Amino acid sequence: MTRSVYVLGAGAHPWGKWPDKPQLQLAHEAMNLALADASLAWPDVQGLVAASSRFEGGMGWGLHANEVVQSVAEQGIPCINVGGACAAGAVAFQTAYALIASGQHDVVAVLGAERMPKGFIPRPPGSPDDISDSDYLRWVAMGATNPAYWAIEANRRKYDFGTSDETLARATVMMRKNASGNRLARFRAATSVEEVLASPMVADPLHLLEICPVSDGAAAIILGTEKYTRKTGRKAVEVAGCAIATGHFGDPARRIPTVSTNVLPNVSHTSEVVNAVNRACEMAGIGPEDVDVLEMADNTVWHLLSWPELFGFYEPGQGDWMLDNGKLEIGGQLSVNPSGGFLSFGEATTAQAVLQICELTWQLRGDAEGHQVPDATIGMSAVLGLGANGGSVILKT
Amino acid sequence: MITQQHASTPIVEGLFEIVAGTPKLIGSQCHGCNTIYFPQALSCRNPKCRDKSVEQTFLPHCGTLYSYTVQRYQPPPLFRMDHWSPYALGLVDLGKGLQVMGMLTGIKLDEIAIGMALKLVVEPLYSNADIGEKLTYKFAPAERAGAA
Repeated sequence: MTRSVYVLGAGAHPWGKWPDKPQLQLAHEAMNLALADASLAWPDVQGLVAASSRFEGGMGWGLHANEVVQSVAEQGIPCINVGGACAAGAVAFQTAYALIASGQHDVVAVLGAERMPKGFIPRPPGSPDDISDSDYLRWVAMGATNPAYWAIEANRRKYDFGTSDETLARATVMMRKNASGNRLARFRAATSVEEVLASPMVADPLHLLEICPVSDGAAAIILGTEKYTRKTGRKAVEVAGCAIATGHFGDPARRIPTVSTNVLPNVSHTSEVVNAVNRACEMAGIGPEDVDVLEMADNTVWHLLSWPELFGFYEPGQGDWMLDNGKLEIGGQLSVNPSGGFLSFGEATTAQAVLQICELTWQLRGDAEGHQVPDATIGMSAVLGLGANGGSVILKT
Repeated sequence: MITQQHASTPIVEGLFEIVAGTPKLIGSQCHGCNTIYFPQALSCRNPKCRDKSVEQTFLPHCGTLYSYTVQRYQPPPLFRMDHWSPYALGLVDLGKGLQVMGMLTGIKLDEIAIGMALKLVVEPLYSNADIGEKLTYKFAPAERAGAA
């Protein structure tokens, strides 16, 4: 028998480049905001689950939860550090959820805090320089950058569905429009199809403004039981569905950093995320048609067009029409990334999935000042990480 | 010591071989389910396969272009290429359920078309007196109907 789990509080440091704030300080600020939002303090926290980063903090072993607790409230609580690359925040959320649903603890915090290195992400130390390491191969044999993988997907979409360059650009325009009202977003200036298409071509057909950059940022969530959510005296936000998953063999997605794909019929594209979304929906007892707000990983404009189709929100190829006709804007048929998405935030890898769930919380409470989806009652997140990690969370009021 | 000036070696050992003048990608094939992999794999990855043992095999050297892009920015330093300029990367369907990524060559960037027939070639990426020529595999336009 599992217990219901609620979001008691959510907090996030604004996304940007913060050269004067160490990763640990970003973590503290996000935690303080989330605790204040929950009307709680460190003595109330019974466990901390942190997304492990490979870039900064965590004493070099990914011990980000331990580092935070030792610097603010050493009180014997379990500290769990989870990997999942860009999906680590979703894995952390799932872990914290299970600690409460199982009855082990009543109040558990989830944290993702990240400062990204400048330029291209370096290979991890100790990687072998031979054919067993895909990341080595893709660089030395062909110089395949991450945008190249996404561009190959986007070009195929153009071929399959006739997606135009203007429609691709319109996805960035929509994300910037949404971000203009979100004080946490890094890129908040409005843009136009003309400006997007005039930005430098990175990998055809993707321009610079159609690909998310990297940022520094931190987000935290406090999860708790029904008793605790009643104490807040606020509209309860319940975790209706929550799943992590990995991919399926035969998935036709061009998975970074591989140089080949085994393609089998009837296997979903981006199966790790589709699997997570399907399980979260099953757990929540809903279908995509019930979702008011979708916060999804938009590493590029291609993702914004394709992912909702892969999740079954509408037919493959229909994303172009939905976008061109404003159906995905705030208050449209399906509000996609009212936050402004990765394209307006830049990706702070391990913090990103936690931020998505913060955003859903604020949307469902009616607290998304400046970018509120009217009458949102069900929100879904979807994220992808290296190693074929997928995560999805469904919140409801 | 005088180094050999014209040695040509693959960019990564075990990636491809020239067999009787024809370049071949080296992959693996599963004994149990016949799935082919590139590059060589430690094990079969098909979750339905109970055998899992693989042996080295040469992959088909002709295929069709599934999709592509043109890289307009120079990749970071792990990638080396003499006379860098924007180049195309293709995703090539070799049949048997396998798609392989590689650089495209022998075609103008604005004449690349999804569905075109391609064949495997080997070309130098960079060279100098100390290391000789470093070769990588690429895909070039091929005649249709079983040529090459």
